[in-house]
Amino acid sequence: MPVCDSPYNLKEGLVVRLIRECENVYTFHIATEESAQPGQYNMLYAFGMGEAPITIASKGEDYIVHTVRAVGDVTRHIDQLKEGDRLYWRGPYGNVWELEKAFGRTLLLISGGLGLAATRWVFEEALKSSIKRLVHIYGSKDYENLLYKYLYEDWSSKAELHITLSKPHPKWKGRVGLVTEIIEKLELEEDTVVFICGPDPMVKACVKLLESKGISPENVYASLERHMKCSVGTCGHCMIGPYFVCKDGPVFRYDLIREYFEREEV
Amino acid sequence: MEDKGEGRGYIVSYQGLEELFCRLKEGWRVVAPKLKEGVILYSEVESLRELPFGHRNREMPGFYCLERAEGYFTYTHPVNSLKAFLHPSELVLMRVRTSDGCLEFEVCNSEGNFCFFDVRACDLFALEVLDRVFVHKNPHPDSYYRKLREGAFVVAVNCAYATSTCFCTTMGTGPEVKEGYDLLITELREGFLLEAGSERGRALLESLGNKKEAGEEHFLQKRERLREAEAIMERHFEIGGLPDRLYGRMDSQYWKHIEKRCLACTSCTQSCPTCFCFDILERNDLKLKESERIRVWDSCFSPAFATVHRYNIRQSVHSRYRQWLMHKFAYWMDQFDLFGCVGCGRCITWCPVGIDIRQEIKKVLGSE
Repeated sequence: MPVCDSPYNLKEGLVVRLIRECENVYTFHIATEESAQPGQYNMLYAFGMGEAPITIASKGEDYIVHTVRAVGDVTRHIDQLKEGDRLYWRGPYGNVWELEKAFGRTLLLISGGLGLAATRWVFEEALKSSIKRLVHIYGSKDYENLLYKYLYEDWSSKAELHITLSKPHPKWKGRVGLVTEIIEKLELEEDTVVFICGPDPMVKACVKLLESKGISPENVYASLERHMKCSVGTCGHCMIGPYFVCKDGPVFRYDLIREYFEREEV
Repeated sequence: MEDKGEGRGYIVSYQGLEELFCRLKEGWRVVAPKLKEGVILYSEVESLRELPFGHRNREMPGFYCLERAEGYFTYTHPVNSLKAFLHPSELVLMRVRTSDGCLEFEVCNSEGNFCFFDVRACDLFALEVLDRVFVHKNPHPDSYYRKLREGAFVVAVNCAYATSTCFCTTMGTGPEVKEGYDLLITELREGFLLEAGSERGRALLESLGNKKEAGEEHFLQKRERLREAEAIMERHFEIGGLPDRLYGRMDSQYWKHIEKRCLACTSCTQSCPTCFCFDILERNDLKLKESERIRVWDSCFSPAFATVHRYNIRQSVHSRYRQWLMHKFAYWMDQFDLFGCVGCGRCITWCPVGIDIRQEIKKVLGSE
């Protein structure tokens, strides 16, 4: 079969490890030596169903990690894969978290729900970097939906990890409430760098609060989620103002995206 | 710089044009305007006689009809645009076959080998716009568009007439054809003025028999004809600084007026020669052994367009209209260094309720 140059060509990799995170959410380790960087995403393909943009949650030497929630046809199909099955994808796409901006400063990560998949890898990299102080706030709607429970012990031994649930649960001894309640109590320097990924309303509320604590939106970076179909900056679906989230993002310096992100129906 | 031989040209008769057309047919699939289904449409044609010579399209907001007129190139641009050939409304990207859990991929990349014959200034400019969107300003150049576009021979025609929905003078794209063509035709009283815009255009022109060198009077006549077309059109708004003026009006209450009129039918985006947005769909065989990945036109007016996890970011119709207008006249400039509008007026003619984008821009800016 002739190999043709097409931006939609797919690659193949074996599922080498499968972890059930919670109901309808699975983490896949996929064998590949392709390079990628924290912040980027891949388009995962399901035969006969289509593709879905999924952030790269982490990476080992010979595998990448994807965490997938079954919400649509494509992701429901992917979540049925077993260890040893083949997964097809294209990527990586998009820009990266600018971790070097936080070197020698405080880095605050804020993750909401499945947004933790988009901040996990950069957090892991930050643990190994020259960050002065590393704080990670993670909010989940309930106990059942907590991701990566098996990593918390390691994380909390190396960084300030604050996990909060929207709803109490008998098994949960930790905090209950919104991520903003934690931010409010934190003492943060004005040059703190913030990486944030979560539902749009959470991002807006956090930025407002951070501003009141003297942290400028120029130091806040948000990873956005929009309808990405082609991921190569051509199909137009993911546009927000003049930006294509698929290629100009998904990570945006907040002051550059604010007027489009905060305005209704842009 | 390619020597276009400014100020040089030949005068040929209708027979001369026929000779040119036959020569083009030898090497290319010729696409030209043709009378079809009661309108003028770009189609693949076999002979010069298929062109709608002596017909005139009359267009107004939400209105189109054909009349008879004296002459040959008596009409303006066709209803459809060259987008239909370079970015087809349905294109198979690849075929995927499954066997034993393994997938095989076959990329479907077909060649165009097109000659676009009788292209007006607005549509020629639209080619430049699409070239930037799909190739020159795209970090992942689109191999499908490129293969269809590569080597296309362009025979442009200067307009001597404009309809009431034309506004190329406002957008600065016409009516005069200035670049991006191989050959240029201007209809004059005693024949057709042919000019070359490329080396291969010149070689073809030089090889034609029965031609005479054009004189100064012919170029004067050409300018006169262009002035006739220009005179029909009014300048609707100033394009200098337009993106910034529009950015300043994003919260205008005026947008809401559009909610009551726009049907979100997507006619404007389909008829537009530069609207490029698409969706990628899967077409499966019933045995689920083979699946085609197909690219189909999509529209920012469709409710699913900006939907993320079943939530449509642009629920109101006026927010979709704002997205479209802002993209054409503001965002596009940031993305591709030109406007996404060439002033052809198709969106005005083919809007079923006659929404006139020229008026909407004026009204949005009006309360500045």
